[in-house]
Amino acid sequence: MDTLEGLAKLARRARGEQTPVFDVAEMVRLRIRSESRPSVTLIPLGLFGGLSAAAASIILFLAVQFWQYMNSPIMELVAPLPEIRLW
Amino acid sequence: MTNAPCQCCPAEGLLEDRERSGRIALVENTDWLDVTASVKGDEDAYERLVRRYEKQITGLLWRFTRDPVQCEELVQQVFVEAYFSLKTYRGDAPLLHWLRRIASRTGYRFWREKAKEPQEMPLPDFEIMEQIEAEEEERIDPSEAAAVLHALLARLAAPDRLVLTLLYFERCGTQEIAEQMGWTRAKVKTQALRARRKMKEIAEREHLLERLGWTL
Repeated sequence: MDTLEGLAKLARRARGEQTPVFDVAEMVRLRIRSESRPSVTLIPLGLFGGLSAAAASIILFLAVQFWQYMNSPIMELVAPLPEIRLW
Repeated sequence: MTNAPCQCCPAEGLLEDRERSGRIALVENTDWLDVTASVKGDEDAYERLVRRYEKQITGLLWRFTRDPVQCEELVQQVFVEAYFSLKTYRGDAPLLHWLRRIASRTGYRFWREKAKEPQEMPLPDFEIMEQIEAEEEERIDPSEAAAVLHALLARLAAPDRLVLTLLYFERCGTQEIAEQMGWTRAKVKTQALRARRKMKEIAEREHLLERLGWTL
């Protein structure tokens, strides 16, 4: 008998094997529920993002107020320059 | 377009209109009703699907591992993965085919992960089979035959092993294997040819036929 023929014969018998029976429905349901929940790591990330945006808004508001408070914003910035001694 | 009920998904006479690819489709398929209900979040519907197909999926995954604990874990993985991919199921093929595709890929992935920790699986004891006459094939215990074949296949690389497992155990054609794995048919044929050659070498090195008493 050829080896491959023997293997095919072995496979024919193997196909008749009784495979085990598992009841996975309940476990699948539990795993789906646990994996369906939004990831916990996203919550602090969102919170951090929100706080950062709020802080940035406050800083922007103060910056605009300060800018408007100056008489000549550009001159205020440039004026001190001639007084700087290079040597 | 009408979906004829397939043998593995018995119809129960219920009709549902649905739009697919811009066309209205009539589906009389219990599976489809459960699939649509599951997508909408009906857990009971998905449980019905799991119970309907867990036996077939277990049967397939048993070819990938003969450890009951690992096998059960893989079956669970398949159904969890299927649940989250359920929206992509278009109903063009029977649900069982779609599940088998996920199962084959899950099993293949499992083998590839296992391959990172190489281990030689010894061939099971042949004593019982050595006493059997060549013409008494029917008396060979199918579990023993499956264990021997599994151990032999375990010596092949994952792609070779997969192709031969599906060919030998599941009687899949090359086209079916190609569809399940997303490979080309030519690749499957080449892989099968090479895998058979390697398998023959291994079987001859192990004196398989002599040990089975099939040399006559």
